[in-house]
Amino acid sequence: MQTDAAEMAAEYQALLQFLYMSPVGLAQITGEGEIVMMNPVSSQLLMPLSNDGELTNLFTALENFAPDLRHHVSSFSAPRGTVCDGLRIELGPFTRSERDPKVLSLTLLKLEANRLMAVLNDITQQIKHERQLRQNEAWINAIIVGVTDYALVSLDREGRVESWNESLGRVTGFGGEAVGKPYSIFYPEGCITAHRVTDRLSEADESGWSLDDGWRQRADGTRFWGTAMIAPLPLQHDGKGPAYCLIIRDITDKREATEHLRRASECDHLTGIANRRAFFEAADLEVVRWQKAPRPLSLLMFDADHFKEINDRYGHPAGDSVLRHFAAMLTLTFRECDIVARIGGEEFAVLLPSTGTPGALAVASRLISAVAVQTLEIDGQRISYTVSGGLATMEPEVTGLAGLMKRADQALYAAKNSGRNRVQSFA
Amino acid sequence: MNAVLKLQFAEAELYGQLEECTDAELDDLEFGVIGFDSETIVRRYGAYESRMAGLSKDRVVGMPFFTAVAPCMNNFLVAQRFDDAAAGAAALDAVLDYVLTLRMRPAKVKLRLLAQPHHSMRYVLVNRAV
Repeated sequence: MQTDAAEMAAEYQALLQFLYMSPVGLAQITGEGEIVMMNPVSSQLLMPLSNDGELTNLFTALENFAPDLRHHVSSFSAPRGTVCDGLRIELGPFTRSERDPKVLSLTLLKLEANRLMAVLNDITQQIKHERQLRQNEAWINAIIVGVTDYALVSLDREGRVESWNESLGRVTGFGGEAVGKPYSIFYPEGCITAHRVTDRLSEADESGWSLDDGWRQRADGTRFWGTAMIAPLPLQHDGKGPAYCLIIRDITDKREATEHLRRASECDHLTGIANRRAFFEAADLEVVRWQKAPRPLSLLMFDADHFKEINDRYGHPAGDSVLRHFAAMLTLTFRECDIVARIGGEEFAVLLPSTGTPGALAVASRLISAVAVQTLEIDGQRISYTVSGGLATMEPEVTGLAGLMKRADQALYAAKNSGRNRVQSFA
Repeated sequence: MNAVLKLQFAEAELYGQLEECTDAELDDLEFGVIGFDSETIVRRYGAYESRMAGLSKDRVVGMPFFTAVAPCMNNFLVAQRFDDAAAGAAALDAVLDYVLTLRMRPAKVKLRLLAQPHHSMRYVLVNRAV
């Protein structure tokens, strides 16, 4: 009997150690998110997110990063099953050291009404590799897949079309009038700024090529979905001749497939606009561009006023409709080259390249007034709402995206404090 | 040292006193003590911590602290502090609120992190009485 007990104690310790050492986070939670059991990696990953040194509720711990978690779980009506599988949670630019994760993956399995198992994983490195792979794939697509039709355009040092050829005419419909114009003539209005035209040339100089997917425009104003790759050309002895070649391909027919993938990973499921992850990825890049070549760059943060009251009074579905409505207003208001994203529960951010304080303030004020005069009809209820905005513009003393967001957040706080339904810029 | 003069979690100048403790004296303390070397290998493990974690000393001593014993502290809140102190050849004596997962139950504790320049041993102390 005694050896049995000793054996069991040893087994118990081995089992404990197995859990202590397991390299993924495991937690058992209640339907309300209360943590019943968890292993050390859960605490390793979640403690840096805690503001008060507490860690009692998983939903609370992840509230700023995955605001819909509670809602996901409460609206999962099946008695058991997978609530989410590998949900990517972007922790954003605020992590305090290199060793801390930037992206977590969360799987939630419902076992019974009040018992769920959570698996947490740091997938920062994996995301990095994926990004690299995506780029490589895009590059290969651009050069070898379906090369039946493409426009090959030569550009001068400043990115102006250097000469006309037949492929240019065939794909874009432009004639000789394109010569001497910047290559932005192939982009619809609002899809590229003058600074970005130059950015892409320098990116091509630095890394050998620059590639982007998106809307392109023909001479007659019609749009197509295309890729544009710019590559530098060796300079002629006399310093004349083209400096870059630009290859434009119409990939409209392939768009549906790639869009589906892109939407799944980069769009917020509720509003359809960019999610936190896509925002931080794009905004980080924009800040890096700013650091290389400073130019006006503004960040607007918006927050729906008294949103909790809207939820309490009209119900969560109505609250969701308000968020969707505001996201649609944002999309209508801002340019395609602006980055419009939902970054928290009722928090939205817009990064405006090549836009200074006056321009950003004007468009934000216009948006806020437009929101305030609208009334939504949701399930027979008439709902009005307002939003507040905070604005910060990039300055040399601001450190990175995190610093810029901090300033915009302070401005937003000031706007809330001075009566809401207004935009305030960082002072 | 006798029971009356037992070391306390919050005592000043604790590093030197821990270094002087025999393993038996360490076992006698009423807070958790884990000592690890500059390679993060656990060298000292008090009986209190052993009881709380449910692991015997021989399972823990010789293991890498931040990966095999306490992965929960492998972040900027704890591991980074030791790295920073070592990199700057500075002393470390910091107390912070933390949540450990002793036998997989979340437990609110106070941690005290101790390191001295030119000494290879580092200590994490765990106080459950918070």
